[in-house]
Amino acid sequence: MSSEYKQVKRMTSTSRIIHWANAISMIVAIITGLYIGHPYYETLIADGAVDKYVMAWNRWGHFIVAIIFDVTSVVIAYLYFFSRFEKAYKKVIPTTKNIAEFFEVVLNLFTLNRRKKFDSTHMDSFNAVYFLIFHLLLAWMLFTGLQLYVGGLESGISSIGAWWPWLLHVATDWTIPVTGGTIMDVRIAHHYSMWFIVIWVVFHIYYQVWRTIFWKEGDIAIVIGGSKFVKEK
Amino acid sequence: MSERIEGVKKLFTSKSTRVETNRGESYYADLFEKCQARLKELRENGPINRLDFSEVLSENGVDRRDFMKWVSATTAMLMLPPMFSPLVAEAAELMNRAPVIWLELQDCAGNSEALLRSDGPKIDEIVLDIISLEFHETLQAASGFQAEKQLDDAIETFKGKYLLFVEGSIPMGMNGQFGTIGAGAETFYDHLMRVSKDAAAVIAVGSCATFGGVPAASPNPTGAVGVMDVVKGKPIINIPACPANPANMVGVVLHYVLTGQVPELDSLLRPKFAFGYRIHDNCERRAHFDAGEYVEEWGDEGAKNNFCLYKMGCKGPMTFNNCSIVRYNEAVNWPIGVGRGCIGCSEPDFWDKYAYERPMADAKIKAPTGGVEKSVDEFGLGLLTAAGIGIGIHAVASAVAGKKEDGGEA
Ligand code: HEM
Ligand code: SF4
Ligand code: SF4
Repeated sequence: MSSEYKQVKRMTSTSRIIHWANAISMIVAIITGLYIGHPYYETLIADGAVDKYVMAWNRWGHFIVAIIFDVTSVVIAYLYFFSRFEKAYKKVIPTTKNIAEFFEVVLNLFTLNRRKKFDSTHMDSFNAVYFLIFHLLLAWMLFTGLQLYVGGLESGISSIGAWWPWLLHVATDWTIPVTGGTIMDVRIAHHYSMWFIVIWVVFHIYYQVWRTIFWKEGDIAIVIGGSKFVKEK
Repeated sequence: MSERIEGVKKLFTSKSTRVETNRGESYYADLFEKCQARLKELRENGPINRLDFSEVLSENGVDRRDFMKWVSATTAMLMLPPMFSPLVAEAAELMNRAPVIWLELQDCAGNSEALLRSDGPKIDEIVLDIISLEFHETLQAASGFQAEKQLDDAIETFKGKYLLFVEGSIPMGMNGQFGTIGAGAETFYDHLMRVSKDAAAVIAVGSCATFGGVPAASPNPTGAVGVMDVVKGKPIINIPACPANPANMVGVVLHYVLTGQVPELDSLLRPKFAFGYRIHDNCERRAHFDAGEYVEEWGDEGAKNNFCLYKMGCKGPMTFNNCSIVRYNEAVNWPIGVGRGCIGCSEPDFWDKYAYERPMADAKIKAPTGGVEKSVDEFGLGLLTAAGIGIGIHAVASAVAGKKEDGGEA
């Protein structure tokens, strides 16, 4: 049977590392973010004072993953246009070919794989658009999150220099009027958007598993080994 | 929508919220000379009213030493170096050269109350007492046509020189008929426009005059708006909070008397010396916040131990004001000090968006879809459930009727 299948490379090791770094960071961001929003476990009043930084540690964890998101987002944005492997932007620009492919993939999902009229050896337009939505959501989390964060840097100075709060203001102040005019609106938007991301993740996992089961091309292996197997025509 | 686009434009054309605490020696040397010249000029102009500052101080039992303590604190609050102290003292004495008109619109008079009702006036209030209050709708004896005449006289005499204090929001609904004033039933809007036309600067005090405040809370039946929404082409200074802290009112007037200029403002037109810092960053309970020690319910063990009030709904993390630094009533105490959370009274829309006395994550707020009020998590879980049901149906359908590419073994 193996001779009938050819192996196609789909993800570089860089992308796979980023994928899992993001996945783990996302879990941490959600756990710590929900704690920040509503501290859901209590520290014992009888605890000694030395190790009591429960909220501080949660915020620290939240910001560390934020920095990881910062860095991976820049890398991903770069790869969108300049990747030597697969330039994702080519799949999201609305050309006739991409639009047709997008709807073919949707049809495939809704006909429960009874109709499959597109080439599944390479990244398809539907997934490319779906991933773009994720990257936009993540960018939105970054901008709103950094706006919540810069509120604490009133002095205009920071341990890494005055450019940092300055940059944060320039880059994120627009989120205040866009979300409704107050910092609280930014915070509300930040929390809502977490749920959009959660829903995104749930469908993403379901869909990749579904593809693996119904297409029988081992799609789930892409994110681990970097390649899948497609039947030779 | 157009409002939001306007907001974005405004943000990009205004300076960032950075608070500049040190502008360098040459800047201050320059400013010092300017202030000296200005105070000299004011002194030569002569007082507008007969109140003598040192007399009023001693009448109220404030000695020179108390006054000098107040002077250094106020100099620091205005973010001026200590060498300005003598000038600040002089400016306080010359406050009776600043003509002030005070309008009272749609509000509870809480800001006037804050000035008047302190037990034994503190120096901040005394300083505000001796400003030349040419017209104050709530306080004056005159009424009807007599009051109107007084107002006209004041506007005429001090054309282009008076500071206009406004307390209360402006109802715009029903052509402004929700609020009228005087024998001629002038609407608040017309009244404000007429009096602000010849003002040197307009100072909106309290949350209603700045952002609409409580009258503007949803569903805003009177169409209340703040001063900056209707008055254009004038320097406007916002001193929000409910009530505005007398210390900040004094700060702004003093700054004006001293320098002849409006203090540096943030994008919401609030003076940075007062609204440059978050409550949270100077709060005495902050250590408990970081430690994860919260008051869980009123009067519990945490409350007795001064734990952080975050879970009781404190909005200090999203509120810019200096209550945590200058406090109220000459630094006697302040809301969080007495054991209840900040409700964000100095931020726009505070009544709808901040004052619900529980963390935002637990509050019922309007869902983006409108309709019934839900907490963000209820809304999110609702969406997640809907998505889950969709996925479930698809999964079951696939299992029953799906076609696997291979056919074969399945
Ligand atoms: C991408 C995934 C992220 C998720 C799921 C997430 C989730 C959350 C949640 C649920 C909250 C609580 C909001 C509330 O109810 O008050 C929160 C708060 C916050 N998040 Fe995020 N967040 C993410 C990314 C970020 C990023 C990239 C930053 C950037 C620094 C950030 C900064 C903040 C800040 C500053 C707060 C408020 C904490 C405080 O003021 O103490 N977040 N986040
Ligand atoms: S009481 Fe409020 S302002 Fe003070 S530390 Fe707690 S959350 Fe911050
Ligand atoms: S602590 Fe908060 S709610 Fe209280 S007066 Fe200050 S800003 Fe207003």
